[in-house]
Amino acid sequence: MTTVAETANPAAERNAAPGWTVVVEQELRDLWLGGRGLLLSVAFSLLLSVIAYLVATNSALNFLEHRESVNLVLQVAIAVGGLLTLLAAADAVSGERERGTLESVLLSPVARSQIAVGKVLAALSLWVAAFAITVPYAWFLGRGVGIVSDALVTGVVVGTLLAVFLASLGLIVSLFAGSNRVSLSLSLFVLLALFAPTQLPSSAQQGWAGELLLRVNPLTAGEHYVGKILVSGHAWTQDLSWLASPLAAAVVLAAAAPILGARFMLLRGGVAG
Amino acid sequence: MSRRRIVAVVSALSAAAALAASLAGPAGASRISVSVSRAQISTHLGDRLTFRSTVVNHGQTAARGLIAHLNIVGLESAVYVDPEDWSSHRTIYLDALPAGESTTITWRLQAVSAGDFDVYVAVLPRRAIARPPTTGPAVRVAVADRRTLNSGGIVPLALGVPALLGLLALAVRFRRS
Amino acid sequence: MKPAIEAEGIGKDYGSLAAVRDLSFAVDAGEVLGVLGPNGAGKTTAIRVLTTILSPSRGRFAVAGIPSTRSREIRRRIGVLPESAGYPERQTGEEYLTYHARLHGHTRRSARAVASGLLDEVGLVPRRGSLIASYSRGMRQRLGIARTLVNDPGVVFLDEPTLGLDPAGQRQVLAHVRKIARERGAAVLLSTHLLTEVEENCSRVLILNRGRVVAEGTVSEVVRRAAAPRSGRLQVAPEQADRAAAALAGVADVARVTRDGQPGWLSVAFASPEARREDASLNAAVRALLEAEIVLISFQLEGARLSDAFLAMTEAA
Repeated sequence: MTTVAETANPAAERNAAPGWTVVVEQELRDLWLGGRGLLLSVAFSLLLSVIAYLVATNSALNFLEHRESVNLVLQVAIAVGGLLTLLAAADAVSGERERGTLESVLLSPVARSQIAVGKVLAALSLWVAAFAITVPYAWFLGRGVGIVSDALVTGVVVGTLLAVFLASLGLIVSLFAGSNRVSLSLSLFVLLALFAPTQLPSSAQQGWAGELLLRVNPLTAGEHYVGKILVSGHAWTQDLSWLASPLAAAVVLAAAAPILGARFMLLRGGVAG
Repeated sequence: MSRRRIVAVVSALSAAAALAASLAGPAGASRISVSVSRAQISTHLGDRLTFRSTVVNHGQTAARGLIAHLNIVGLESAVYVDPEDWSSHRTIYLDALPAGESTTITWRLQAVSAGDFDVYVAVLPRRAIARPPTTGPAVRVAVADRRTLNSGGIVPLALGVPALLGLLALAVRFRRS
Repeated sequence: MKPAIEAEGIGKDYGSLAAVRDLSFAVDAGEVLGVLGPNGAGKTTAIRVLTTILSPSRGRFAVAGIPSTRSREIRRRIGVLPESAGYPERQTGEEYLTYHARLHGHTRRSARAVASGLLDEVGLVPRRGSLIASYSRGMRQRLGIARTLVNDPGVVFLDEPTLGLDPAGQRQVLAHVRKIARERGAAVLLSTHLLTEVEENCSRVLILNRGRVVAEGTVSEVVRRAAAPRSGRLQVAPEQADRAAAALAGVADVARVTRDGQPGWLSVAFASPEARREDASLNAAVRALLEAEIVLISFQLEGARLSDAFLAMTEAA
């Protein structure tokens, strides 16, 4: 009877990096050296340039509108950065399925939960880049009204919470979607639905029901908090309760993503293997 | 006489003049008067300011359903004024004011535009139709400009950041192709 | 000593459809097992179960001595080239292999060394720094084979590795397959449509049909078991063709005689009893022609082939 050759590589494995770091590194290379990330960053910076130019050259701008302009730049950064992160995560699994590259990754001994973590972290790099690009614009516009540090700190806190939430959400959608088109469409729909309450007339946003709707929705809650700091000049702790839903959403979905990834990262979307 | 004392006397005289003006107002509104704590305020763009207005019921019966409303008027046509920007709490619904009694309202605003403005309070009864409001004296608010936005340098920033990122994208693409 | 692959009663259902039923077989190290079957026979499903991509509905298996309950350990010991493998277009061949080597536990340095060695082995060194988008289909398949070897596996699964390749590409790929078994001592499970591939490269063959094993063994064992009908072509003088057909039709071992289209050529199909001797049938046919004083110009006996056995087994089921 023929024996099975022992072919494991124990020496290499002792020094090997954790699976999720290998996945993050390669996903970052694919995203940024592959060119997609940089092109998106150029487009985003053009958007901010247009906004900043219009604001800066408007000599009729009053003080409050100036603060609102800084708020606008931050809100755009958070919204667009969040959108890019969401779409990158929504493509992470379903896109690989369609490109035929998922199976070879699943055939590696890396735990599927680690693969999920690596993909979420790589998607978050788009938020990091968006925020980094926003810094000079926020500094330029905010220095005159003394809110640069407020803008940057609130931006990074709220933006990061929302980006973590959206990246995790995108990955979860990607796990279950039957196709990449469905994954991207559904993710975009959810994002638009979360932004929709901001378009309600201010009268609809009053009262306990309106406020509850705004508080429960992590995107509107985060936007509200940033606005109170930058436009209304509130102290950090004055509206801290508005950060409850962004924090909860980020924590819950960030925990759920690897758990669901371990079970549902399959060759077919959401089908039990 | 000290400078502070002079200012106090002038304020008192202004208030008295305002009272006289309000008492001489149209019939029907004459039992209500409005006075202000300050005649003028000098401040800087972005600063917050406060003043008080006192509503007095000179009539024989209680005044019910009174509404006090704050207005801001720009004295230069080129300056756009959105009162909502200055204060989001500009309408106060007063409790019933017994005869001979008064109530004081504290108004808090933020000077969001530079220039000269008049700020005044109007008091009107809720249910009265075609009855003119009683207005208090205007508080002259002079807001000194503080240059909050230097537009110089925006073009290099607006062009430079996208250009830098674009060059980086091209370099990466060229290196990888 | 345990086989490299052991499967016992494997079944995989998709709802009410049984994609694989009662699959049982074993493969030793250094052996190449060919898995044949028509489309939808369950070959790819079977491979995905054995490589832990899919979980079985029934049965148990062990790969490289590791039971199916320890799927991550199995994946450490196997190399797999899936049927519809895609490749990331914006990575270079070297980056791709390095990444997968690191996924299998190599450090950055050792992964690069492994990638270099494998690129050399499959003949892709000149294209190591090129994007995979610029690779031909044959290069991608060779890259895929290289990827299956990053962890120096004891068991290799190849699902249709020559699909879409020209004959030269097929030859190259199959040469690598033989080398994997011969030089690395790995057990190889080769799933293919091409019967000649199995005949030329596999020590044993497994034929699947509708999820079931219909034949297993060496090529000659399978052919013999299938008892595929033998046939031949003979040439006589054109004016004697009718008399030759009549003479052959009278032979008990001859099942059918037909005109071949070309003047003087006849096709003869021999009967397929279980224990018929080939030489007895042939002798009877030649004797019949001689007795009829028909000059036999040429006789080609077509031996039973795997393709005949394959068709017989999969069409009959």
